[in-house]
Amino acid sequence: METRATKHQNGEGLCISGLNKKLSSYPVLVDVSFTVIPGEIMGLIGPNGAGKSTLLECITGLLPVDSGIISQHGKTLTLAQRKQLLWYQPDDILPFARQRVQTTLSFARKMHGATAADLEQLIRRLDLSSMLNKPLLALSKGYRRRVLLALALLSRRPLLMLDEPFDGFDLRQSLAVMDLLRQYRAGRSMILSIHQLSEAEKICDRFLLLDQGRVLAAGTLGQLCRQADLSPQATLEEVFLAIT
Amino acid sequence: MPSPETPPAYRPAPLLLVQEIRSLLAAPALWIMLIILSLLVGYSFIQAVELFSQASRTALSFPELAAGMNPLDGIFVPTFGAYYLSETLLLPFVAIRLIGLDKQSGALKLLLQFPLSPLSLCGLKITAMGLVWLLSLLPAAMALGFWHNLGGHIYPPEIAVLLTGHGLYSFTVIAVAMFAATISDSLPTAAMFCLALTLGSWVLDFATSGQGGMLATLGSLSLTGMLRQFENGLLSTAAIASFLCISLFFFLLTAIWLHPGRHLLFKLGYSLLVLVLLSSALAGAALVPGYVDVTENRRHSFNPADTRALHQLDKPLIITVHLNPQDSRLLDLEHDVLAKLRRTVPGLKVRYLQQKSTGLFGAADDDNYGLIEYAYGGRHEQSYSNSQEEILQIIYKLAGLRVVPDPVQSYRGYPLVADATASRWWFYGILPLLFCGAGLFGWKGKW
Repeated sequence: METRATKHQNGEGLCISGLNKKLSSYPVLVDVSFTVIPGEIMGLIGPNGAGKSTLLECITGLLPVDSGIISQHGKTLTLAQRKQLLWYQPDDILPFARQRVQTTLSFARKMHGATAADLEQLIRRLDLSSMLNKPLLALSKGYRRRVLLALALLSRRPLLMLDEPFDGFDLRQSLAVMDLLRQYRAGRSMILSIHQLSEAEKICDRFLLLDQGRVLAAGTLGQLCRQADLSPQATLEEVFLAIT
Repeated sequence: MPSPETPPAYRPAPLLLVQEIRSLLAAPALWIMLIILSLLVGYSFIQAVELFSQASRTALSFPELAAGMNPLDGIFVPTFGAYYLSETLLLPFVAIRLIGLDKQSGALKLLLQFPLSPLSLCGLKITAMGLVWLLSLLPAAMALGFWHNLGGHIYPPEIAVLLTGHGLYSFTVIAVAMFAATISDSLPTAAMFCLALTLGSWVLDFATSGQGGMLATLGSLSLTGMLRQFENGLLSTAAIASFLCISLFFFLLTAIWLHPGRHLLFKLGYSLLVLVLLSSALAGAALVPGYVDVTENRRHSFNPADTRALHQLDKPLIITVHLNPQDSRLLDLEHDVLAKLRRTVPGLKVRYLQQKSTGLFGAADDDNYGLIEYAYGGRHEQSYSNSQEEILQIIYKLAGLRVVPDPVQSYRGYPLVADATASRWWFYGILPLLFCGAGLFGWKGKW
């Protein structure tokens, strides 16, 4: 049986090598390298301003990089190829705000090639039924986040990158979203940019710790504990404090 | 749940086009523009009919004056003047939203991830805007309907050219607004950029109006000046090419600069390429000018026999004008003769010898002031006349031609005494209420 590790070794995952990015001569990403293993949920963690969102936008191609390679199977991916491979859902956006939620979701469903049943299931799981006839602009922050999550989960692309997917949710809602993400991980990978470490620990298989644009550590929680010389029972918060 | 393995079966372009139209219809700015446009068109139309009627009363008493009663100048150009105002001052605020709002809301980051190139995305956006722009023609269509019902005369080619001019002007304004929104950080900055260009063009036209010579030529190159050619019923390939090149330039720049993931050098390089290609196209169009006078009274054309004779002039015809740009005689000469000669004589060269003095009656100390010199094939003539008939006779004499004018039916004009005040209920009441209702519908997200 092919494991995640063997897929990693076979180079099936998305490989990011030596990514560098400066904004106004200030380095925001410095030699960032890592691999996303197929089927895993990777947590991109780091303090505010660490460069998490910038990294995701660079991988998507929404920001140009100064240097670095994004590849799969040893081949550098063009912008058009990345469009087929990954979907990035930015944080804090309000797309088509004056349109009814139903209209926006229906548009996204058709654009992503998802079925009406897919959308119905998402609406049910995210408890959006009562909001469908309201414009996105009129929704509370929590409901807006649910709509954004639905927009992302309608995508069929093999790699989903979600920026702060749990922001705006209470504990119960966060747990429900985690369940949903676990269900939707089948057949694809996810990169979740999360600043709430307790939530990251609950859902992510591996972590990439980013600070000031540099990768400080990468691996499973156990591997990070070893890197930080902490006991295997240490929490992600303890690891984070030890490493940063 | 969506399976990553299942191939998507959808056509993104029509979906996105519908989405863009929905976004525009949900924009209050569009409906506010339409309400203002309805009021402006109504006011312009009712005023134009009133003035036309006053002039027609005199023309009906003195039939020789009737030839001046032309509905294009009297009714349609003033009515469409409301469109010029709307296209210059209001349309940019609607068009800026096409890109600006997507940038501001973050929707652009999603749209750029769909399987569409930035060029296709921009193309769909401008198509959506074009379709929505057709809505703005509703007040004009109503004005035409009212005029027809009042018994007014409509000459379709003149209306078609007028609409073409406004369509091209709007296309240019929309493309400029899209580019402004693309390169600006905020909607107000984009609006300032766009208004600077449209109002700058108006100022250039205004500053050069009433001027002759090179200043008049400069003014005719402004967007407003080019639109005026269409308003005058003159279909010019140079004006069409200019509008298309300017709008395509800004449209392609928008497509190049839209994607934030492209490197600056890539954007600069392609922008330069577009500039070179479109400048070449524009220069090419200027080298082979073509004109069609679509006016019913053929105001931009000589008699067909004169046109044929002037086309045959195979040597350079040099006309030297000793008049100051502000002199009304030069304005008449430009409008009545030189403009027509430029469109007809292949080798025409006009030189303006500007005088130092600009006194009320010209330069008293210069004996040549007011003189117009003609040189053709080594022969030379001069005259103080700016009459078309006399000037043509001088040219024919220099060229050794004898021209007998073709018999043409004289334009008799269409004087009409009518009262359009009943239409105010539509323009000031029903139409704005309809637009207001549609705007509220969109505001509630019902589109």
